[in-house]
Amino acid sequence: MAPSLPQFSAARMRSYVFRLPLFTRSIIGVILVLWVASYQGVFDLVQWGALIPKEIGISTMYRTNTFPLIHRGVFHTFFNLIALAPLLERFEAEYGTLTSLALFVGPLSTIPALLYTFIERGILGMNTAVLGSSIWVFTLLATEACKTYKTNPSFQLGTVQVPTWITPLVMVVFVSVLVPNTSFLGHLCGLAFGYGWGLGYLKFLAPPEWALRWIEGKLNLLGRLPHYVSVDQKTYGRFGVLPTTNASNISLPTGDRMQVEMGLVGTSGSLLRRDPRLLKVPPYLSFLCIVIGVAWLLVLPLDNYSRKTYISENALLPGQVHTYFAGSDQNVFRGYKREVDGMGEWGNVEVNDKLEEFFKASGLKVARQRYEYTSAGETYSGENIYAILHAPRGDAEEAIVLVGAWTNVEGELNKSGVALVLTLARYFKRWSLWSKDIIFLITADSRAGPQAWVDAYHDTHQKGVQSLPVKSGALQGAVVIDYPFDHRFESLHVVYDGINGQLPNLDLLNTVVSIASGQMGIGASLQKMWQHTDTYKDRLTTMLRGMMNQGLGHASGPHSSFIPYHVDAITLQPYGEGWQDEMAMGRVIESTFRSLNNLLEHLHQSFFFYLLMQSSRFVSIGTYLPSAMLVAVNFTIMAIFLWVKSGSTPSPDSKVGSTSEKSGPLAIIKKEDAVAIVPEELLEARERDFFLPLGVVVGSHFLGVLPLYVFNHTPHALLPIIFYLFSALNLLLPLLISSTLTHSFAPTLQQYQLLKSFSLLFLGMFLSALATLNFSLAFLIGLLAAPLTYIQPFKSTVITALYVVLMALLAPTSVLFAGTWYWNLGVGAVLREAAFGWDVWGMNTQVVVWCVWWPGWVVGVIQLFGRPRVREKGKA
Amino acid sequence: MNVERRKVAIFGAAAAVRFLLFTCFPGLPDLLTGRVEISTPVTSFKRLQEGLFLYNHNVSPYDGGVYHQAPILLPLFALLPSSQSWPSMTYLLYILVDILSANALMKIAKSGEGGSSSLYCSPRMGKKWSGYAIAAAFLFNPFTIATCIGRPTSVFTTCAILHAISKAVVGSSFTSMFALSIASYLSMYPVLLFPPLILLCYDRRGPKQQNDSLLSFVSGNVMGVGGFLYSLFHMSYIITGSWEFIESTYGVQLLLPDLTPNVGLWWYFFIEMFDSFRNFFLGVFWLHLSSYVAGLTIRLRRQPLFVIITLLGIFAIFKPYPSISDTSLYLAMLPLYRHVFPLMRYTFLALSTILYATLLGPAFYYLWIYAGSGNANFFYAITLVWSLGLSILVADALFAVLRDEWEVERPEMRGKEIRQI
Repeated sequence: MAPSLPQFSAARMRSYVFRLPLFTRSIIGVILVLWVASYQGVFDLVQWGALIPKEIGISTMYRTNTFPLIHRGVFHTFFNLIALAPLLERFEAEYGTLTSLALFVGPLSTIPALLYTFIERGILGMNTAVLGSSIWVFTLLATEACKTYKTNPSFQLGTVQVPTWITPLVMVVFVSVLVPNTSFLGHLCGLAFGYGWGLGYLKFLAPPEWALRWIEGKLNLLGRLPHYVSVDQKTYGRFGVLPTTNASNISLPTGDRMQVEMGLVGTSGSLLRRDPRLLKVPPYLSFLCIVIGVAWLLVLPLDNYSRKTYISENALLPGQVHTYFAGSDQNVFRGYKREVDGMGEWGNVEVNDKLEEFFKASGLKVARQRYEYTSAGETYSGENIYAILHAPRGDAEEAIVLVGAWTNVEGELNKSGVALVLTLARYFKRWSLWSKDIIFLITADSRAGPQAWVDAYHDTHQKGVQSLPVKSGALQGAVVIDYPFDHRFESLHVVYDGINGQLPNLDLLNTVVSIASGQMGIGASLQKMWQHTDTYKDRLTTMLRGMMNQGLGHASGPHSSFIPYHVDAITLQPYGEGWQDEMAMGRVIESTFRSLNNLLEHLHQSFFFYLLMQSSRFVSIGTYLPSAMLVAVNFTIMAIFLWVKSGSTPSPDSKVGSTSEKSGPLAIIKKEDAVAIVPEELLEARERDFFLPLGVVVGSHFLGVLPLYVFNHTPHALLPIIFYLFSALNLLLPLLISSTLTHSFAPTLQQYQLLKSFSLLFLGMFLSALATLNFSLAFLIGLLAAPLTYIQPFKSTVITALYVVLMALLAPTSVLFAGTWYWNLGVGAVLREAAFGWDVWGMNTQVVVWCVWWPGWVVGVIQLFGRPRVREKGKA
Repeated sequence: MNVERRKVAIFGAAAAVRFLLFTCFPGLPDLLTGRVEISTPVTSFKRLQEGLFLYNHNVSPYDGGVYHQAPILLPLFALLPSSQSWPSMTYLLYILVDILSANALMKIAKSGEGGSSSLYCSPRMGKKWSGYAIAAAFLFNPFTIATCIGRPTSVFTTCAILHAISKAVVGSSFTSMFALSIASYLSMYPVLLFPPLILLCYDRRGPKQQNDSLLSFVSGNVMGVGGFLYSLFHMSYIITGSWEFIESTYGVQLLLPDLTPNVGLWWYFFIEMFDSFRNFFLGVFWLHLSSYVAGLTIRLRRQPLFVIITLLGIFAIFKPYPSISDTSLYLAMLPLYRHVFPLMRYTFLALSTILYATLLGPAFYYLWIYAGSGNANFFYAITLVWSLGLSILVADALFAVLRDEWEVERPEMRGKEIRQI
């Protein structure tokens, strides 16, 4: 008989799952519940329930029963369930639910467990804990193998006759070789019991049949419980044939078989499509996606999900060198400091004249660069000055940059910072160990200056920015000093966010943190968390602040401009009142530069995508990405759901009235003798009218260019007025479009569904692509746009009104306004910053807001005001 | 003249959109020219400029190993004013080529070959889009527009293929073969379209050739193609002064020395491969690509136009240097079979996969090349997804057409769910 491979069919799979008997279901349920429960942090379920040989005593006997139900991790649970479900289903179908319950709660887990404990503890003297239902899997496999052996004693492998009962043994060996962390001995114990059962030696363990019958009859279990398998049924199994001979063993000629299948599952796909239960799932599923997405993010700060940072690149060797920046250099620093203090009121060019003298006196090559940017009707200009220290041991192919902006991000004079750069330039020049060039850069400000310099260094500068007269090699890293006060400091604040949410390699940050805290004893903090107590709340706050900065995508310091060019960069800001002096700061820089000097290749070893919880704890992309992806997937699920829904014919009750007038084409269906005439429409998926919805969605996405252009090209004085005008217009616009649509096109319900489907599809698509580039922005926008998933033309005015209020609150303009109010900024200032970001930094956040989020919002509100046309009678 | 006015309106609008994009965003053409999704080593406009420079300075354009395109393009572009000083002339040429392609497409649609070929008449043929809609779908397809702005030379191949088909459906086999020869001369792979195309010509042959047998018809046209190709090669020999061009153009397509990333599947595979297996797998890949021709031609003998369309889809996936221009050609031809769309099952899936890949491709390329935080696997994974989406679309369309044929044989199965066993 030719073995016919079982064909996978979704319908059959579904019906199989729905036919699973009661005990199997409950075991699966219990395993899943325990798996989910094992994720809480309060109570260590695994430790409580595992079979640990040394722990087994009279009071802890429960372990012999609980261990098969508890699993470690997703894969363990998943694969065990996949293996267990079909075997258990067969067992239950054969023996009945009650027997299975009695056996699996009792001897089937206890005996192998005791056997295992005995061998492991008594004979081998070890103490390996075991967990998971795989022991049952092997027990059941062994019983199945015994059954097979009776009907079919051996199979042929080459010339050798292999007895069939051996297959579970082979499997145990393979599993223990292929799958890590599996208990060979535990599986063997399971097998031993299974063979014993299969050969009939252990049948006495099963409860007597008359007792079961009595219980069953008294409690009327068959009538009360769904999917219950009776003790009586077991005689013939549930299928009328013995379950050991399943369908694949029945040898039907292929032709017959085909007909049988044609008759049974002739319409698998369309059945699935029209199943009302299946059509109800997606909205809940997508809601679940959002909830899990948010919950996922919230558990990240827990110890189990975040990791301690570590240095990945061995060449860095942070803090391994002795630092010599001290002693007489402090006098040099004081001298420079005095000079810088004196230049506080000077013009840019005069300052640079003086700085040039200093650098030249240190024996460095100096050059200057003028730049001028225009943005929102304002001009930002200045002159950068930089000096290059050529590496005594290098060939000018690589360079590291030390930056001190003349004024910092807040506009304060960076007096100690600039003085420190000058001192370090003089100090570094004395050393002969540099293998990379060092560039000392003093920019005129912290926003435009660094951008102009980096752009020009890579020859991508705009008009108005001068080219650099002198250059060195490829930039390997940049460190910025932001030290605008005179007094001593307590700790270092490390700023690391780049433009558009790009981050420097985590190794750079780790190096600085480990040098500061390990070598120098200076604490390091992130994201303005001046007091970090390492609690959940503080970790979460740090992470959320980091996400906010990343999501906004603006420059948080002079270092931000370097990061888009794949130059890893950070800003160091001393803060607080403490006893660390400027020399300690200088030593941190010195040690960092020595580490960077060690690099053999560009920083690449460690993570580029991470969220930091505190200076020594992070989550990597693999752990956090699913949360944003889940939020984005929610849109995609709904889009697919709506597409399917729009294609299926409307429910029959709405049709009854119009049947008599239907004039659509009829199809004649002949089946054997019967002939039926069916409207063709019922048979084919409904044609979709997708031009109008597609046009509206694509049109609104293109319309997004308008606010993008307006907000980036308006003089700053007009920005607030334009913003308020636009906000007002923004609330009216969807209403206007919606009424235009209803008047001139009268869209049907299907078209509204397609409108939403396309809009959500685009949203999901953009956000999941964005999540790979700027996770935080994708997550934030996904969350703010989440209500769009459930929007539709509601019948009830109350819901519509509520939704209108919600949508008005979640409009991009309202969110922007709320943000400015919350952070106490003016709308004008924020918009000016955004325009500056667009013109100078190449920030892309606006594009996402106006061309992804805003169009989605507009289309959402259009649906809210939409009135689907009632289907005209007679129109097929 | 209402009809003509619609044509003028569509063409005018398409030309205007392209011209606006060219002129309003002066950085755009160069940006798109650099995109690997649009420009491949064998079609890149930048490489054409390099070849042109060498040609204008009387150096063999194939010196330096950058230029891999047909020699006849050189005199053509040398006649145009330089694209540096007079870019608008180049722009106009590309816009014109696109419009010529659309015009040919419109003619194919008008012939009604999609719904009813001479051997087969679909029961659904009433459901179709007009030629204007099909031409508009081609002209306003973002892929086509991006291709036009990126100015790869594959647009000339596209134009030639479309003309070959449009001539074949009216039965003028001579012109059709001429166009096919030009397409093959420019890009080599269109020569694989010969079998279905000749059948299409044969099915639609004029009254004069009505008595020709298939064999004599085919052999006559094979001679024709051979003659055209020979004269084109000889012309190229005269232009470049040596036969070196064969190796640098067709040799590159066959042997794949340039492994610049593209949307296809070959580059990554051949980067990873040990050199000793290279020749073997080159053979396997080419064999795979060409093996579809015979099978499809025989199976779909009654609808040769659909064979051509499916082959174009397969080429867009499995060619050595595919680009989105090949995809746009396939997507342009597919609406000719509008009547089988209701039978397709995975359109939404396939199209959203393609859309996802379109967005994620550039994002991952950016992460790999510019941000440095990704690597080649990122981009390759997306090209796999892209190819997957395209293959679902191709297979689904093929299924729909086969189903359509099957329902003619077995009308009682109309509208019933079927599955393959």
